[in-house]
Amino acid sequence: MGEGIDMGNEFEGHWTRYYIYAGAAFFSFFVLLPLYVLIIIALGAPNQTVAAYYPALLPTKFTLSNFINAFRGTGTLLESAFLKSLETAFIVAVIAILLGYHAAFGLSKLPFKISSLIIGVLFFSTMIPSITIAIPISETFLRLGLYDSSLGLALAQELLVLPLTIFILSGTLDAVPKQLEQQARVDGASFIRALYQVIFPLAVPGIVSAFLLSWLMSWDEFTFAIILSPVHPTLPILIYLDASARGNVLTAASFSLLVTIPVIVLTIILSKFIRAGYLTSGITG
Amino acid sequence: MILPAVIYVLYLAFYPAVDAVYQSFHTLHGGLTLYNYDFVNSIFGKSPIYNTFVVTASALALQFAFALILASLLSKPFKGRAAFSALFLIPFGVATIVTGVIFHNIFSTYGGYANSFLRVIGMHPVNWTGSYITSLFVLILADSWKNTPIVTLILLAGMTSISPNLYNQAMVDGAGTFQRFFRITLPNLKGFIAIALMIRGVSEFNIFAMALLLYPYQLLTTMTYALYDTINAHPAYAGGTILLAFVLIFAAIIMTYRGKYGRGY
Repeated sequence: MGEGIDMGNEFEGHWTRYYIYAGAAFFSFFVLLPLYVLIIIALGAPNQTVAAYYPALLPTKFTLSNFINAFRGTGTLLESAFLKSLETAFIVAVIAILLGYHAAFGLSKLPFKISSLIIGVLFFSTMIPSITIAIPISETFLRLGLYDSSLGLALAQELLVLPLTIFILSGTLDAVPKQLEQQARVDGASFIRALYQVIFPLAVPGIVSAFLLSWLMSWDEFTFAIILSPVHPTLPILIYLDASARGNVLTAASFSLLVTIPVIVLTIILSKFIRAGYLTSGITG
Repeated sequence: MILPAVIYVLYLAFYPAVDAVYQSFHTLHGGLTLYNYDFVNSIFGKSPIYNTFVVTASALALQFAFALILASLLSKPFKGRAAFSALFLIPFGVATIVTGVIFHNIFSTYGGYANSFLRVIGMHPVNWTGSYITSLFVLILADSWKNTPIVTLILLAGMTSISPNLYNQAMVDGAGTFQRFFRITLPNLKGFIAIALMIRGVSEFNIFAMALLLYPYQLLTTMTYALYDTINAHPAYAGGTILLAFVLIFAAIIMTYRGKYGRGY
């Protein structure tokens, strides 16, 4: 893209540059503002934040007591919710890679017409509203004993994650040279060895980003979680209950900050891997 | 090798969806009936449908306006672009419910930061949750904060696929910034706009967690959740079926639009 746009700058002059910086500053401000509010509520003294009629925009007193109280009050609840979210997200990501890698490999072998039909069906499934299918699934899970369990929740959340994982991995596998597999077979490697020892290592970047993205989506998921696992909630549900029904705004803010920090780190790592092509390949393909 | 994934999706997504539609026309005792729909209608009326449309349309408008500006910024080279492109993605990673909690605190009528700010600049506080328009504003602002990055990524992919030669040619011919945007950028983006509309529009119909926290009126999702009951789920099936029907109609419209104009990329 370099050449053409450099030429463009000669035409447009430095005014455009000012607009760009003004725009970038404007958007940065609005991206960061809500995060700033979360931090000052979680770490500020309550009489300057939630207990004030007009909370201070620049609080002067800070404390860790919100966190300490949040842990003390619902310590065991938080721990079990954290573990449940963690467990569910890992099951979701592992199943996504297991099923997704094989499906993507299979798709890369099929004629274009059939593979795009299958991708179309998968994409269509992501359009079905979660809440519509969560209700019949909850009845089935009640019968099967999967209701309120991490495994059951993970199986449902898998639906949102699996199509996206297959899109990402198909894109990755398409980039692996076809001759490589043939070469391996010619050299006497079995199909299984070619699949796991030749192609798999080359697909690792795509697998890592698919894994992280599945993990993130499960960590964030709300609809299935509130319907399929209301008794032993995951973290998002716990935060929702604290913020609404129980009215523990400070607890909700502290938990929110805890949930957000690792996820922001992950997002910044992921920003190097995320390509819009992953999201659009299902429809353009 | 593809079969496990496809069977999984068919069994866990399509089967329950068909089941929900089927059950919505039956009662607990199994008779065929429209009673569930009458029941939903008698409690909620048509307003959840209307509200869902208003929220979807206004949230999409706001996100696309922001995303177009952001994507145009990011398609140009400038110092600090790498840092900015990591920063603008941050909301994508913040959990939906966390976004809801934050905006709930900013826009609460008592003890909210928005009113604090209004007082500092000498204006009257606003009862944010008190009227239809202000609560709609709060909901779509929160939703757009979280979801604009994903729209931006898709539109950016579209913008980088447009040949720079087109722009250079237009500049030589004396086309201004706005002319280039409306005559070159937008027409070439049509296919990508359709994709982003599809992805975001469908999720916008399903907006749920944020609406529970921020929006005091009923949407199709919150209505279905309010109807949900493990003893008699049949009214909730009716709610879910109405939601499903609207999502499918929306998707069909976008698909037709894409089929008409979206070729050629």
